[in-house]
Amino acid sequence: MITTIRKTTTKSIVTIVTAFTLLFSFGSCQDYLDVQPEDKLSGDQVYRNVYDADAAVLGIYGKFMGLAEKYVVLNEMRADLMTTTRNSSPYLKQLSQHNVSAENTYINPKQFYEVIQNCNDALKNFDIMLADKKFTQSQYDQRYADIACIRTWIYLQLGIQYGTVPYITEPIETIDDVKNINKYPRLPFDQLLDKLVTFTEALTYKNIYDSQSSLLVTVDGYDTRKFFINKECLLGDLELWKGNYLSAASHYKNVMEETPAAGVNTFDNYRVKFAEVITNEDLAVGYLRNFEQDATTLVNSDTKGWRSIFGRSRDVLWNSEWIWSLPFDSNFAPANPFIAFFSKTGGDYLAKPSQRAMDLWNSNTQNNDFPYDARGPKFTYNIVGGDPVIMKYIYKYQAANDQFKRNGDWFLYRAAKLHLRYAEAANRDKQYKLANALLNIGIKNSYNPLNLAQTNNVTNAMQTKLPFPYDFDARIGDFPNFRAPWHRNIGVRGRAYLKAVPVVGDSLISIENNIINEAALELAYEGNRWEDLVRVARRRNDPAFLADKIFDKLNKEGNAEATVVRTKLMNPNNWYLPFTW
Amino acid sequence: MISLKINYKRLFVGLLTIALVSCSNPWEDRENNGDANLSVTLSEAITNTTEVSQFGQLLVQTGYDKVLAASKTYTVFVPTNEAMDQVDDAILNDPEALKKFVANHIALTAYSSIRTKAQEKIKMLGDKYLLFKGATMIDDATIVTADHYAANGVFHIINKALTPKLNIWQYINSNSGSAMSQYLLSLKNINIYTSDAEAKANAVPGALADSLTNSYLKNVYNLNNEKNSYTLFLMQDAGYSTEVDKMKPYLTVATPEGTAALASYFTVRDMAFPNAYELNQLPATLTSRFGVEFPVDKTQIVGNPIHLSNGVIYIMKKVDVSLTKRLLTTKIEGEKNYGYVGTRTPILYRDRIDPFGVLFNDIMVQTPARAKFTLTYYAKDIMYSTKYKVYWRAINDQSGTFQQQLAIGGNYDVTTNNIVNMTTTFPLITVPFKNYDEILLGEFTKTNANNTDLISLIGGTSSTSALTLDYLKFVPVLK
Repeated sequence: MITTIRKTTTKSIVTIVTAFTLLFSFGSCQDYLDVQPEDKLSGDQVYRNVYDADAAVLGIYGKFMGLAEKYVVLNEMRADLMTTTRNSSPYLKQLSQHNVSAENTYINPKQFYEVIQNCNDALKNFDIMLADKKFTQSQYDQRYADIACIRTWIYLQLGIQYGTVPYITEPIETIDDVKNINKYPRLPFDQLLDKLVTFTEALTYKNIYDSQSSLLVTVDGYDTRKFFINKECLLGDLELWKGNYLSAASHYKNVMEETPAAGVNTFDNYRVKFAEVITNEDLAVGYLRNFEQDATTLVNSDTKGWRSIFGRSRDVLWNSEWIWSLPFDSNFAPANPFIAFFSKTGGDYLAKPSQRAMDLWNSNTQNNDFPYDARGPKFTYNIVGGDPVIMKYIYKYQAANDQFKRNGDWFLYRAAKLHLRYAEAANRDKQYKLANALLNIGIKNSYNPLNLAQTNNVTNAMQTKLPFPYDFDARIGDFPNFRAPWHRNIGVRGRAYLKAVPVVGDSLISIENNIINEAALELAYEGNRWEDLVRVARRRNDPAFLADKIFDKLNKEGNAEATVVRTKLMNPNNWYLPFTW
Repeated sequence: MISLKINYKRLFVGLLTIALVSCSNPWEDRENNGDANLSVTLSEAITNTTEVSQFGQLLVQTGYDKVLAASKTYTVFVPTNEAMDQVDDAILNDPEALKKFVANHIALTAYSSIRTKAQEKIKMLGDKYLLFKGATMIDDATIVTADHYAANGVFHIINKALTPKLNIWQYINSNSGSAMSQYLLSLKNINIYTSDAEAKANAVPGALADSLTNSYLKNVYNLNNEKNSYTLFLMQDAGYSTEVDKMKPYLTVATPEGTAALASYFTVRDMAFPNAYELNQLPATLTSRFGVEFPVDKTQIVGNPIHLSNGVIYIMKKVDVSLTKRLLTTKIEGEKNYGYVGTRTPILYRDRIDPFGVLFNDIMVQTPARAKFTLTYYAKDIMYSTKYKVYWRAINDQSGTFQQQLAIGGNYDVTTNNIVNMTTTFPLITVPFKNYDEILLGEFTKTNANNTDLISLIGGTSSTSALTLDYLKFVPVLK
């Protein structure tokens, strides 16, 4: 009996020893491979004070910049102004012809959700920090609103591109769960818009960071003020998509009346100002004075005229136009994706202007009777070695004249876009005259029926005499003296030295068409075209508005699929990409 | 009991051993993939392959074995021993030629036989380019077995040695018997344009000097360039002199030698084309880069096409080009003026569209502020010694009409501040409002072929008389 016990004990000891040996033998290997890194922080070590929060904000913006290429490619290659070159990959051709395959790398939404996941994580930690009193309520409000708006902006993009997407606002365990339709049900675009409008309008803080904020600094030689998303612009866009036009116009008007950045005159800030015909120190299409008939005197440089919107450094004039723009610098990550994408001499030349786009510019007539819109053939694209090359993104690279200096920008929001979007909202809110004025020749010239000059008494002219958000005063007069806030506004087409486009037939439709058309000429390749087309086609319930333009692009380049693509796009469900990765 | 314990001990030790062994180092495992080919260099691999041993010896002899043992990646096309037996002894016995010979079999970077392109030109170490057609061919050799790989690249075994070929220009130099070849070579000393003299004066001696100093290589195509391919038609003497004689009346200058040189140049400049055309690829008509079009008469080809490293030469009995095609119209664009008499201020270079929707550029002098404001031009290319019909297209889109005239020849006179001593002056012509047609101004005759005549567009005698010009056209008339 005892023996039996002893035996059993021995056996059990042996069993235990064996088990442990096995356990260690498997466990030990894993342990020695699984060393905690000494140069990384785990979740509980960050978010200790406001500077940690700032680092999180800037980190998210850094990650956000990784979306730049996708944003431009999806919004331009799918639309009518950009097309593929002989170098383009089959994936780009699929986007251009609206027959994407599942493995197309451009349509993977995962990258968007990675940034959303970062935002969600930061927002949750901001809440914890506030509860633990690690920063003040005001510091919390500003940072929370900023990151919340970035997230909303990405969701708006997801809605535009994919239609039906999961709306996730909490950090999740693994990013691949986003695909799990049971865990995260998908919202149709309409419902997503409702959620986004409600959430974003409810944010308590809607300005840029206050001037004392530790986030408004100079980082690596760049003033950070224009790095951050403009929340009023985003809200304007959301309300415009939603169809709340008065509300949209109000948000846009708030941006127009914003306190300017240091050095910028209030009269110039986001005003789409007239040309300085003597000095050409402006952002307008212009010629040397008294040589307006001489094409060789076109102001074509990185420091003067319309082209300098894209080529100039972040100086006073730059600040009067740009509302939101993120710089790529070759000294810092992330690398500029646009040189490789657009440049023929320093990159892969993967995209070029479509024939349709070039025809659009060349069907305009300038004030000097030149048969084109210089913004197109002279600035937005150039012919390089017989091929049209999109230049907006490569002026800085070209000026540096150094293979390794690949500086550039992600162009996100500027005054011309603000004015066109505002005009679109105002037009839908039955302010036809005002919309047409901002589009064509400006407030002062449009609201001056008696053709008064500066020397006349202009007390009762040159203003809209409307309540907010349609109140514009553009009076300029000497007796009595007026220099009203909007007296320098010349209209988007006026600044481009173009003749006004007429209103033909129904004002609402005609002006809206003109606005969308003008957005093509002014903002081409800045990533707005597809969303403009979808927004208007959706609003009008008129798929042909979108489908005809894509048809025209493909047809003009002799693509045999043009008619098939048109038929496909006549069904709005086919405007959206499949949500797969 | 004891035996049991021993068994357990064995089991225990066994398990410990497994445990220790299971912690092997994956980094070291990664390096050894068991492929013996990857442990030898190309140099060793070729030497160890018996069927190509002769080429292996040449590698050692020329020192290229050390190049192929380096850490860069190479492709070697290795001729079999049978192929090596066919190689000219002259090459094998000349150390310099032998080096070039071996270098012509080696390319930097590894080119496997699996290609995405049907064919591509690859650069060999000897600076010649050979056409590589995937698994089948390199130049005119067939690949016997492909894709032998080693640590630093691949080699393909081929059935024919890749003896370096001459390029077109080297061929002309070494076969200078014909009159056309001699003329081409003589252009080393003959200047056709003034810029040729400058190029000759500034050329740096060396291998590329010919490319810069020879007027043909500089102005037509650089037939000495290995990177591109060309086709050249080389005429036999009788056909060549017939063509040159045809051109002589139109290229008369002061001396008969000068006339002959010019006439020859204007004959041969239309005989070279970019692209190497095989016999079956030759199109029915060819257009030279100067715009002269002629039919390709395959019956005039003598012998087989001569394949060279940068293209093909066809020996032709003659290449008959009719004078109507050979003599080109001279067109001068209004906005490309050489200079002006007056001030820069009133000159406008305009972008315009005509009623047919065609974009064009022109020049307009709106308010000259002086009488006889003058725009000056020169012809870019040499104009023939013959009669010309002269046209202009001048578009007046101003409110009033004005007059202007064309003059040929003469010079700027400092005292009168005008162009004087013109050889031909066309009458003052009123430029009608928005007329987009070409207007015939008249005729004039050149006695000597050149491009040195000043061509002037002169405004009216009033100081407000405008000028405008889209283009001038000089159409040569056959004698």
